[in-house]
Amino acid sequence: MRSAVNQTLKRKFAQTFDLPSAILLDQATIHLMGDAEAKVVNHKGLVQYTNTCIKARSAQGLIEISGADLEIVSLSSSEIKISGMIRQVMLK
Amino acid sequence: MTSLFLWWQGYVTVRLRGPGLEHLLNKMTDLGIALTNVERLTGDVVIAKLMVRDFRRLRPLVRGSQISVTILDKHGAPFFLRKFKLRGFLVLGCLLSLLFVMYLSNFIWFIEVSGTYTLSNEAVKEAIEDLQLRAGIVRSALQPRTIEVELLKRFPDLAWVQVSIKGVKVEIILTEREGIELEQAGPGHVYAAMDGVITELLVLKGTPQVRDGSTVRKGELLISGQYYDQRGIQQFGAAQGVVKARVWYEGVGEAALARWEPRKTGRSHRQYLISIGPLRIPLGRSYPEGTHLRDSKEWSLSLGRALVPIHWSKVDYHEVEYIKVEVPRETAERNAYELAWESLQSQGVQAGQILEERTTVDFIPDADGIRVMVQVEVLEEIGQFMAY
Repeated sequence: MRSAVNQTLKRKFAQTFDLPSAILLDQATIHLMGDAEAKVVNHKGLVQYTNTCIKARSAQGLIEISGADLEIVSLSSSEIKISGMIRQVMLK
Repeated sequence: MTSLFLWWQGYVTVRLRGPGLEHLLNKMTDLGIALTNVERLTGDVVIAKLMVRDFRRLRPLVRGSQISVTILDKHGAPFFLRKFKLRGFLVLGCLLSLLFVMYLSNFIWFIEVSGTYTLSNEAVKEAIEDLQLRAGIVRSALQPRTIEVELLKRFPDLAWVQVSIKGVKVEIILTEREGIELEQAGPGHVYAAMDGVITELLVLKGTPQVRDGSTVRKGELLISGQYYDQRGIQQFGAAQGVVKARVWYEGVGEAALARWEPRKTGRSHRQYLISIGPLRIPLGRSYPEGTHLRDSKEWSLSLGRALVPIHWSKVDYHEVEYIKVEVPRETAERNAYELAWESLQSQGVQAGQILEERTTVDFIPDADGIRVMVQVEVLEEIGQFMAY
């Protein structure tokens, strides 16, 4: 309950002062470049990695990227860069 | 991370094998270890690239777990340089070779002489060696100006000498005097090489037999090799001198006043040809080229990029008749004039040296054509030395 109030306050604050909400709310950002490349910024850890599915935790839930021939091009504590044939991006 | 930065820092390709690889990857990223090209081979095998300094931090993470880490490959500058460290003598050898090449570049190794025409290269090279210019001398000891002056002194036939140093090579460019041959083969006279009117006569040695304004025929004696010296004694020597004369050249060109042009009658025949290697099989009749124009198209059989030696041709023969087309007199005259000039140029006449030009145009009555004769007058050296 308290966390939800905090989130709402932060969102209002960001909107009022025109600040990037992704930073204030610790939100994950997903960039898609066509269907061949994806970048997940501000993830909270890799959960599953196969050639057809990559799952990563985020503050908003589980991010699931599925497709074919998926490969992690680079992996760091804040960013996962994925290449391959991307078919679906889901937030669970 | 750019690949250049990775290469400079040095990176390894590792294989991680075991259960719970995602967990290990998370632990690695939490420690700040960046991974690139993370490839999942099978359910329990991942291949990834990481920097050398991060690899050392990986060991404690896998200690006690069921995950094994294997280095598959090493890349980058640190490994490349290590090879050289192990081959110290190779590096030393390279450095010594470089120093040796730099040392050798202080010497002259090649001497090139160009521009000799009547002078022999050997004579010039001997003179150069006399002047202490030889392969192996130190570059800084070389004095090009001195060599130039000395060569001009030793060879009076030379008009100009240039000695230039280009790296380890010395280039000697010579220019010989033109026109007057100072040394003849032996005693002899100077004769006229062609008909002409003398405009300039300069006798260097011998007795003149003609004077300015004389008309001479080819082969006529111009300067005799017999002369009397200062003591009044008759000498037989090599006549020398410059004899310039106005000489004439003649060029003739002919052009037709009519030409025969083919015109299609409208009748045509088609023939097919199949070529298999050198064998040609015609399907249909051929027609002579004199009465027919030929128009052909060819197709080649190919299988993908490979050319098969089978060709298929379509040949169209168009029947023609020849009709007479009048050529304007000006055009014919211009064509004939151009041909006449071609003839003059083949005799060595240059357009720029003409003193006077005369053109005569005649009709060729039987051949229905035109003949242009171009006569030009030029100033030329006609003296030709001939030994007794």
